[in-house]
Amino acid sequence: MAKSQKTSVGRRGFLRNAAAGAAAGAAALVTPPLVEAQGQGQGRGTGTAPAPTGVPAPTQAQIDRETGNVRPPSTVRTITRPGSDLMVQTIRDLGIEYVAANPGSSFEGLQESFINYGNPPNKMPEFITALHEESAVTMAHGYAKAEGKPMLALLHGTIGIQHGAMSVYQAYYDRVPVLMIAGNDPDFIAAHTAHDMAGMVRSYTKWDAEPKTIDEALVAIQRAYNEAITPPMGPTLVVLGSEIQKDNAPNTKIPAYKPPVFVTIDATRAREIAKGLLEAQNPRIAVGRLRTPEGVQRSVELAELVGASTSTAATGGPMSFPQRHHLCGPGADTTYDYTLGLETAGAQASITGPALAKTAATRDTVNIGFGGTVPGAGGRGGGGGRAGRGGAAAAPPIEADAEASLPLIIEEVKRQMTADQKTRIQARIAKHTSANHEARVTAITQAVESKRAGWNGTPISTARLYAELWPLIMNEDWCLSSPSNFSGGHHVQLWDHNKPYSYLGGQGAGGMGYGAPASVGAALAAKARNRIVINVQTDGDLNYSPGVLWTAVHHKLPMLTVMHNNRAWHQEYMFVEYMAGVRGRGDDRAHIGSTLRDPYLDYAKMAAGYGMAGEGPITDPSKLSAALKRGVAAAKRGEPYLIDVITQPR
Amino acid sequence: MKKYYVAIALAALATPMVTLNAQGGGRGAGRGGAQVANVPAPTSPVTGNAAAGKALYSTYGCYACHGYNGETGARAFVGRWGNLSTEQNFLTFLRGRANVAPLAPSTSMPSFSDSALSDKQAKDIYAYIRTFKSSAPELKDIPTLNAIVEAAKQDKK
Ligand SMILES: Cc1ncc(C[n+]2csc(CCOP(=O)(O)OP(=O)(O)O)c2C)c(N)n1
Ligand SMILES: [Mg+2]
Repeated sequence: MAKSQKTSVGRRGFLRNAAAGAAAGAAALVTPPLVEAQGQGQGRGTGTAPAPTGVPAPTQAQIDRETGNVRPPSTVRTITRPGSDLMVQTIRDLGIEYVAANPGSSFEGLQESFINYGNPPNKMPEFITALHEESAVTMAHGYAKAEGKPMLALLHGTIGIQHGAMSVYQAYYDRVPVLMIAGNDPDFIAAHTAHDMAGMVRSYTKWDAEPKTIDEALVAIQRAYNEAITPPMGPTLVVLGSEIQKDNAPNTKIPAYKPPVFVTIDATRAREIAKGLLEAQNPRIAVGRLRTPEGVQRSVELAELVGASTSTAATGGPMSFPQRHHLCGPGADTTYDYTLGLETAGAQASITGPALAKTAATRDTVNIGFGGTVPGAGGRGGGGGRAGRGGAAAAPPIEADAEASLPLIIEEVKRQMTADQKTRIQARIAKHTSANHEARVTAITQAVESKRAGWNGTPISTARLYAELWPLIMNEDWCLSSPSNFSGGHHVQLWDHNKPYSYLGGQGAGGMGYGAPASVGAALAAKARNRIVINVQTDGDLNYSPGVLWTAVHHKLPMLTVMHNNRAWHQEYMFVEYMAGVRGRGDDRAHIGSTLRDPYLDYAKMAAGYGMAGEGPITDPSKLSAALKRGVAAAKRGEPYLIDVITQPR
Repeated sequence: MKKYYVAIALAALATPMVTLNAQGGGRGAGRGGAQVANVPAPTSPVTGNAAAGKALYSTYGCYACHGYNGETGARAFVGRWGNLSTEQNFLTFLRGRANVAPLAPSTSMPSFSDSALSDKQAKDIYAYIRTFKSSAPELKDIPTLNAIVEAAKQDKK
């Protein structure tokens, strides 16, 4: 049987044969590589001898194909220009820098194009090897938070999407643009195909499609990109059948790309807001999380034009106003008579992008109710309507993209501004500048007073960890990538968050296993930009997918990982402790299932296993600074480095 | 209960979406607000065994919120002492929490009934706690922190 079909056994033929046996592809898949050692034409390889389970053994042709001994026949059709080349070109034209993937045959056509098509090949995007799909998607999450634009995660049909699901959920909750492509090969392994491949993540993706032709596929990729970056931003998924990846498309043209149009405030609003800011004696701009670095720049431009003091969200997440800008801070006078909120509440005007619930209503979330989301109830990020700081009621939110609206306000301000106002504004800026500087010095003076608590103690205090890091990086271009709430968040008071990517904030949906891969994504963004990533990494989080350490080494990423190693899922330990306490049962068993002891993990060795340089465990606080110095130096050379620090639990 | 759990869970996990004031905020020793406290250590008598207390301080997870040395975490007590002023106050505090308000705790500290933690064990823990001393040098003696303040002063745009 095998012999007679040899020339025509492609993947389809292979499956058809295998399907005759009950276990179909699965049986073939688990055939151990020992077949190779047995050599050709021997015994069970011929397909005549039954396998021990009673399932007909795979044929030699099947085994050869599955173990890579033969290439799939290339003479079946003449491919001059595979569809996947066009797909990759479309992705390249969108300016996608990286594609992260764990390999899967459902996208073998695409993968081959990513690595071989184009001049130079494997650039824009560059193929990033992920060891887990959850890592691939969260890398894209972290990258987008740092850079304000998507990269691509490529997922294997069904199983790869399932592995990536939590990460997709987090990006969705975080309203971060992530572009995803999944392969669908209906002719290979039945379990790896689905009638509605995107269905399993539809409740927490913003948009998906499964185009049936190459032409449709190219349009879908562009659309998925646009949907991802249009507020409310989120992950989008295009499912691409293996056939259209491989089909010949000599005459197909890539459709002209049309960028999305963002909803802005209208001209009347822009006039009103400009007037409000200019006529106020003490205007204020409250800046939340904008979309991109350009938006941040525009917010600075507006603040400088009108001489408004500003508040920032930069210590809580990316894309907000530079914290040490001379206008950022309480200002000379904290009685504000006009507050404009940009993606956050403002007393007189709040421009906030559409909430998640808006899209949720048109997706599948209604019955599931993720996060308690019900249509019309307003999701996270609506922002407006909440009282602003200081108790002032917020203006009803104007549903528009603040970033895209800024140029309109800036134009209006320039048009309306009188010479008189200009003079007043200059005087105000000077006052704000010195007041904010003073406020900064007062705040830091108070902060260091508290950070010295436990300074020389063992294990090492989290405050000392952040304090020792700061002088080593303050003159570098840095990005703090992991959520810091479990490690004390001491950078909030001690460090200066002046870049859109200074601090990337939380997980999105509180899912652990985020920090490490998000840091690798941030480091991908940092790589070509002379920037280093500082990853203060909790131990529990790292253990979900430590394989990202290898990815960081393999791709030479400028990343310093400093362990906040409290040898526990400490947050959960405290919860269990509390529960046992409330029930009066004592806390001596609370460690069961919530601590990482017996044995302790050795993270420097773990790093070494993945090829990463590192040191530790460090318990003596006086040894910390020198180690951090070595780590920063390594990261600057593009050599990721890990320092295991045994820390106080909080 | 449920509400309480959710509240701490959210505080721990939620992405900070509030617009933080430029100078930051927060509370507790770890969050920058609290200063190092300097209340002198109590001198009241101690009857327990500090070595035994050391093991209990760990097994009963006291370090989870008070740090391994009582200086860090959500509720640092070195230099504050409060309910730790005497052995009896400490015992009353522990038991009071267990027997008086087990289901509506005023803080997140677990309750300890005497069936869960005997008087002897509690006294041992107290003896251990009383050995704690501040490891915080005077600010002038910490070059790193002074350098941070100096850099902030220089940074005048
Ligand atoms: C995917 C996932 N599983 C479980 C949890 C529950 N959980 C919340 S905090 C936490 C512990 C995190 O441990 P670590 O990252 O070491 O931080 P620590 O609290 O120890 O500082 C866990 C397991 C979660 N949030 N996400
Ligand atoms: Mg931990």
